[in-house]
Amino acid sequence: MRDLHLSLNQTQRVRLEAALHELQSLTPAAASAAAVTVADTIPVNQEDNILKGHGTSDQDGEVVATLCGVVERVNKLVYVRTLRARYKPEVGDIIVGRVIEIAPKRWRLEINFSQDAVLMLSSMNLPDGIQRRRTAVDELNMRSIFEENDVICAEVRGFQHDGSLHLQARSEKYGKLERGQLLTVPPYLVKRKKQHFHHLAQYDVDLILGCNGFIWVGEHVVVDEKVKATEDQQKSSDEAENFTPLETRKHICRLANAVRVLSALGFTLTVELIIETAEASASSNVEVNDMLGAEFYVQTAEREAKRRADLLRKKNGAR
Amino acid sequence: MEYVDPLTGFRVDGRRPNEMRKLKGEVGVVARADGSALFEMGNTRVIAAVYGPREVQNKGQQVNSKEALVRCEYRMAEFSTGDRRRKPKGDRRSTEISLVIRQTMEASILTHLMPRSQIDIFVQVLQADGGTRSACINAATLALADAGIPMRDIVTSCSAGYLCSTPLLDLNYLEDSAGGADVTVGILAKMDKVTLLQMDAKLAMDTFENVMGLAIEGCKAIATYIREVLLENTKRLECQRG
Amino acid sequence: MVGLSEGEKHFIRGGIAQDIRTDGRRRLQFRALSVETGVIPQANGSARVRLGATEIIASVKAELGKPSILHPDKGKVSIFVDCSPTAEPTFEGRGSEELSAELSVALQRCLLGGKSGAGAAIDLSSLIVVEGKVCWDLYIDGLVVSSDGNLLDALATAIKVALSDTGLPKVNVSLSAASDEEPEVDVSDEEFLQFDTSSVPVIITLTKVGRHYIVDATSEEESQMSSAVSVSVNRNGQICGLTKRGGAGLDPSVIFDMISVARHASQQFIALVDSQIAAAEADE
Repeated sequence: MRDLHLSLNQTQRVRLEAALHELQSLTPAAASAAAVTVADTIPVNQEDNILKGHGTSDQDGEVVATLCGVVERVNKLVYVRTLRARYKPEVGDIIVGRVIEIAPKRWRLEINFSQDAVLMLSSMNLPDGIQRRRTAVDELNMRSIFEENDVICAEVRGFQHDGSLHLQARSEKYGKLERGQLLTVPPYLVKRKKQHFHHLAQYDVDLILGCNGFIWVGEHVVVDEKVKATEDQQKSSDEAENFTPLETRKHICRLANAVRVLSALGFTLTVELIIETAEASASSNVEVNDMLGAEFYVQTAEREAKRRADLLRKKNGAR
Repeated sequence: MEYVDPLTGFRVDGRRPNEMRKLKGEVGVVARADGSALFEMGNTRVIAAVYGPREVQNKGQQVNSKEALVRCEYRMAEFSTGDRRRKPKGDRRSTEISLVIRQTMEASILTHLMPRSQIDIFVQVLQADGGTRSACINAATLALADAGIPMRDIVTSCSAGYLCSTPLLDLNYLEDSAGGADVTVGILAKMDKVTLLQMDAKLAMDTFENVMGLAIEGCKAIATYIREVLLENTKRLECQRG
Repeated sequence: MVGLSEGEKHFIRGGIAQDIRTDGRRRLQFRALSVETGVIPQANGSARVRLGATEIIASVKAELGKPSILHPDKGKVSIFVDCSPTAEPTFEGRGSEELSAELSVALQRCLLGGKSGAGAAIDLSSLIVVEGKVCWDLYIDGLVVSSDGNLLDALATAIKVALSDTGLPKVNVSLSAASDEEPEVDVSDEEFLQFDTSSVPVIITLTKVGRHYIVDATSEEESQMSSAVSVSVNRNGQICGLTKRGGAGLDPSVIFDMISVARHASQQFIALVDSQIAAAEADE
């Protein structure tokens, strides 16, 4: 219950305990047994040439954990999968970041990693869309593409030889994100999947689950209109006409609150679960703000326990 | 004053000489931090928050770019001590304790795994009743583990003293200010290595060995407790994750 | 504090204009409030208050002292605020000095009344033990443990709850002393006089964004403000203090409007705080 400090009354506390207890019983025992903390010895068969991966170290011939997490064994590789930790980038990850600084020919982005990531000017499409060499004029106009504090969606390109992390945003779907809100969740709750961009047509909302734990919920932007939109915005001076329509805003807030509740409960975030939680709140007439209240918190936990129990039953029945 | 009752052997607060105060550890108390923990030893209560590893804010402070920079600040709340004194920040005791905590934790953090980054450890004392140094180190260990920062080993700390010809474990404020010796020990629990050793007042050599041995026992008991707290927390997160 | 992009700022402003903020709250809605008393057993009274993600610990310590010569019939109260670096890395070292000073002064203005002690929310004459010789010195300390906007309101609430938890020990004065000697006082360990906090006000900060005002702004919303007015209101709806922050100039009619909105919001908030205090005391 890290982010929402809620005061639950007695019945709610009992219900929550019951739901969490059920979740615990649904976890395979092997997973619990494989949990380790710092300095725990990981049992390995000494004869196999075990590769020591992340989170392990060799001490006196024993494999010892350096992090708290769950031991994973893949063939000959043994590593510790952490839960709460900073983001660990992998090539090809789709991430959402915020521009911290504009440096010569590059932008520095904050992405919840141990260092700031770098987006080179050459890894970014120019506004006019032409593929050409970046000139000095382009360098001076970097601010017209991305400014400080802008929220950007990009892809991890890889680590350079000097250890810095480079991003690229060449495709049309990457770029600046406006008109919405950015949420931060622990990165371990976002699983790497095929799709991270979700256009929720029924709400007209874009939902982007960044692998680094930054989640963007915002108005839907049609891809080719992006270039035109930036020009239009500079012209319009009367803001009131430009505000997000009320219905869309309600949906955005509901989805955002669903993400907040799910991350406070520590449940893995998938699009389906987020939509399901938002729908459940709408159908039971819970006010958008009350989604962050104690009652909905407990209900979401109960709902998830039931869902996982059903899933397990189906899996066992299918066998 | 009789710090150890000659008849029953009980101390002022009813403990036996080799008995530690009640421990309580909890992780995740500050939402915004990467890792945080609350640690209580009897009436001493301390919060630690860890921010990092993150980009180095002040390049001038970075000495070795192949390793993470570890920084630490120790603060006491105005209401933390019995007689309320307006504590200026950056007074010498705070600076010294900040340095001690930093050096102790640095010995355990695998800094070479996070080059060009910085790790900030902030410790805030809410209530001080003796052994604040030790409680801070224990809280920092919990917070670092909560933040997912790789460490060689669990670092724990405990104090012990010598009053009325008896080695006493985990002194509270009353016993600490009695004028006897106060030995604070910090160890890497599993590797069984001492990383912190401080003492004031004087002790005979063999008495000192006894007292230090007692403190190390205390450290090991705290390590077992901390390990349980972390394991329980890890299991809970894994179950809820699904 | 993390910066916000133009798009996000636009979204926040739009939300406030349409009466549905980023977390779904209405403009005049507070975040979840949770209250605990007695968190610092060494103090005479203490409280921990959580308003959303903002967390404050307040403590009240009472010591016997001498009243000042100018006001021999009044005790003394001092209020200090400290921002812990655990809340924000930028609070480390001396980073929080300015903010702490600003919050301390604002609280003193709202709770301690004028220079002569007139109109103080805490009845200073109730702190007198022996007129001219012995009085209670109250030290009220607020510690910001976690920060997400609206620190002033949360601090005032924490102080109010801490005062309601405060018990001053009963003091027996021996009457044998001559009038110019220091009287002997015997501080009782058993009997306590509970503090009367019915007149302690709460502070409601109204943040003006665009054309509308909101209560209980998060730190993101605070970054968008053009100006903010903090009004201290007591149970009877009387204004006990007023502070305006922010550079933008306000029309006087707007200020009057903001004050009346604050008064209205304060009545609900006071009721909420009182019920939380009662629940906390019942728990003990």
